Amino acid sequence: MPRSLLVQITLASFIVSACALPAAPPTPAPPPASAPSASTPEPAEPKAPAAKPEKLTVLCTPQEDWCQAMTKAFQEQFGIQTSYIRLSSGEALAKLRATKDNPEFSVWWGGPVDTYVAASTEDLLEPYVSPNAAEIPSEYKDPNGLWTGVYVGALGFCSNREALSKLGVEKPDSWEDLLDPKLKGQVAMAHPASSGTAYTAVWTQVTRLGSVDAAFDYLKKLHQNILQYTKSGSAPGQMAGRGEVAVSVIFSHDCVKFADEGMNMLEVSFPAEGTGYEIGGVALIKGAPEPEAAKMWIDWVLTASAQEIGPTVKSYQLPTNPNAKVSERSVKLSEIKLVNYDFQEAGKNRKAITKRFEDEITTAPQ
Amino acid sequence: MGSVSPRPCVLIAVQASAPPIPIQLSGWRRVWREYRALTRDPIYFIALLLAILFIAIAILYPLLATLAAAISPAGAQTLADVLRRPVYHRIILNTLVMGLTVATLGTAIGFLFAYVQVRLAAPAWIKRAIHIAALVPVVSPPFAVAIAIIVLFGRSGFITSGLLGLRTDIYGLPGLTLAMTLSFFTVAYLNLAALMRGLDPALDEAATNLGANKWQTFRTVTLPLLIPGLAGSFLLLFVEAIADLSNPLVLGGNYTVLATRLYLAIIGEYDITAGAVLSVILLVPSIVLYFVQLRLVTRASVVTVTGRPTGRPQVVTDRRVVVPLVALALTMVGLIALIYLTILVGAFTISLGANNAFTLRNFEFVLLGYGAKAMFDTTGMSILATLCAGFLSMVIAFLVVRGRFSGRNLLDLGMMMGIAVPGTIYGIGYLLAFNSPTEIFGLAILPKLTGGAAVFGGALAIIMVYVIRSAPAGLRAGVAALQQIDPAIEEASISIGADQATTFRRVTLPLIRPALLTAMIYAFARAMTTVSAILFLTTPQTRVMTQQILNETEAGRFGNAFAYVAVLIAIVLLAIGALYALIGPRDGKGAAPAGRPLTAAPESSLAP
Repeated sequence: MPRSLLVQITLASFIVSACALPAAPPTPAPPPASAPSASTPEPAEPKAPAAKPEKLTVLCTPQEDWCQAMTKAFQEQFGIQTSYIRLSSGEALAKLRATKDNPEFSVWWGGPVDTYVAASTEDLLEPYVSPNAAEIPSEYKDPNGLWTGVYVGALGFCSNREALSKLGVEKPDSWEDLLDPKLKGQVAMAHPASSGTAYTAVWTQVTRLGSVDAAFDYLKKLHQNILQYTKSGSAPGQMAGRGEVAVSVIFSHDCVKFADEGMNMLEVSFPAEGTGYEIGGVALIKGAPEPEAAKMWIDWVLTASAQEIGPTVKSYQLPTNPNAKVSERSVKLSEIKLVNYDFQEAGKNRKAITKRFEDEITTAPQ
Repeated sequence: MGSVSPRPCVLIAVQASAPPIPIQLSGWRRVWREYRALTRDPIYFIALLLAILFIAIAILYPLLATLAAAISPAGAQTLADVLRRPVYHRIILNTLVMGLTVATLGTAIGFLFAYVQVRLAAPAWIKRAIHIAALVPVVSPPFAVAIAIIVLFGRSGFITSGLLGLRTDIYGLPGLTLAMTLSFFTVAYLNLAALMRGLDPALDEAATNLGANKWQTFRTVTLPLLIPGLAGSFLLLFVEAIADLSNPLVLGGNYTVLATRLYLAIIGEYDITAGAVLSVILLVPSIVLYFVQLRLVTRASVVTVTGRPTGRPQVVTDRRVVVPLVALALTMVGLIALIYLTILVGAFTISLGANNAFTLRNFEFVLLGYGAKAMFDTTGMSILATLCAGFLSMVIAFLVVRGRFSGRNLLDLGMMMGIAVPGTIYGIGYLLAFNSPTEIFGLAILPKLTGGAAVFGGALAIIMVYVIRSAPAGLRAGVAALQQIDPAIEEASISIGADQATTFRRVTLPLIRPALLTAMIYAFARAMTTVSAILFLTTPQTRVMTQQILNETEAGRFGNAFAYVAVLIAIVLLAIGALYALIGPRDGKGAAPAGRPLTAAPESSLAP
């Protein structure tokens, strides 16, 4: 509507002239009036014909410093001004859902693809098959290009050696070990509604025990030992590193990262029954304000060189591109037992499971 | 009890009484005439119009939007769910227990500090230390305390585990109580200290002359006079405690309260309706307590003085009283000092508690790296908000005190809603109200302010929230200051030909400069440290320091969080210094006394 635009411009000039707002972007974003409601997934948007894209806003889910390193490298290589916001998987999904008429982000990078599947069932993602996806093994990508895998990581136990020995508990190597009454208030994991890590942990129970009900029985027992469900997936590892808890359930690469960063009491172990794993994804967001730059990003993060940036900031996820060099700090998937993790199923059930978790587990008496 | 019998005191309702005097319906024609008279002075009229417009758009509209969402069919469903299920009963109970505990303890500590400050014979350095310790929380974001507490008193805390070898558990209610009490008690201290200073010493003297000993005097004279202050402080602390998000997120453990549940509903599921319902539930105890406080205050028929108190307040010199109270207060001061020392040390440490090596990496991150944008954004928005809040609070104070039109007290009440209502409600209200362009009868009056593609990346909405959260304190300071200025001075100005605007600018404003200073200092500090009201309003284009601190804290990167906190405190202190230099009192006198108990107007002695 032209009137709102007019107001917008008047207001803009008023405020800018009045006080040179530092936060004000040079142009107050494309006017909402042009937002298509039910358009088809065409490249569309002919407004910037063949011009080089200027900026990109990335929705970033992995560790903050990795997000920084990636956006910086991309910006330097392509001259596109790249900014990001780090949100945990669940938050990212919620944000995409909330802003789907007016997306703030163009591309989503990182975080377990369960959540990408959940997002695609809600029509929040735009299929894009990158030419570079050919290099990625087929088990690490969606055939329709809704998401493509950029890294792989395995869930593990991240324990504080000192805290364990104080409690007189052995390093856990089974899911059942976490139920030890001696560990009461000594286990931490994230909340599956906000964290993809925690959701992977929950769905691992479903896979391992064969049914959602059995998984919730286990989680109810585990709840007796949980100190806190954090918002972000890796935060429990930090709690273990400081000795606030003895054991945390996080992705093993985050544990190695924290240990490398100075929390030298931490050590990783894996459950013998089998553990869950994640494929970290990348996807184009539907209605992306910067689709061209977003596609360049996707093409780039699938290359071997981009996938070798992680270890430089101590993020030891395994690359999905077979040509990328693997850090020796990364987990060797061949040496641990993995459960048969169904990302499609996990993604489709995400909403129901997180709701049930909130209702039955978090507020249960301890 | 003789003490309740009529005493020869003069009432000054302003100091401590209930706010609004509703419109007297004696005659709409009178009201009409009053307003017509207003139009004769256009600038005056425009100021009034602006004030009304601001309150309507920035305060009432989002509030109503939240209420509307809560009573919509979907909201009603959630509400029924909340009322029926025991899980929620537990959460509500947790919230109430936490709020009452924090309010009680915080008021008690505020009282202790104020009493030692005003009524005890203690060395000046002790009083100074107490004053500074009490004011530090004003300039620091709330979770500063929470993370320091984990490092000091956590499972492997320096004190609990390192020094005492204890295995404590501060997660949950104990930690929350400690962190919130230390973060919020300042309000109680400032209110009670101002009130105690305002008490007429003649009352105490009269009691002494009638044969009462010190304790009897304290119990039957001083304490009843302080009831409004105590009740007001209690209420404010309660509202702050139940609305606080940051401490429960960091320290809550599995002690779920409404605020954390609400946060998860929005952040994890983006269920704004559920958020609205929960925030309205949050509002209920606040409103109930507000009216209880009102009743308490009016029944105590509060009393102070005719103008300035005469004589010096009686000072307690009895060592049996002084020594334990001062010792207790100093212990608290020591605790606060320890906490802020921890923050400072933590800012220069890799990961305090796990790896205590020195590093500058945290500051590099905040000052030069990713945090720099947040720092500039937040400071810029806070400066704008400070200017707006300072201007707005003085104009409304002027209208409320000097205006001669019915309903001016509604302006006061409307403005006070900005602080009397939990911040999360505005967070949700703004999302609901301003996620699309605002239109009145099809005429767009405001563009989209929140969410994707909002104007200025959502900065405008954040500034508005900053203003509504910080202007009330300035308003109180302004009202209190104006009430002490004889209108005759302004009348003189008008009678020699100046219009209302010129009079305000040339006569009134210079007289209330200390109040303006208080208002602006408070506004800036408040804006820089606001959390719960803006958490849902940030966008990729606009970063807010408090939210970054929360992220760093939540992700466990305490080093970065500490560095952010240190930088934020430094910015606020710098700004206070700058404000002082720009508009500080030239005669060396402090700011106007804090107003009514329902406020937190820090005195201008906040400056370093």
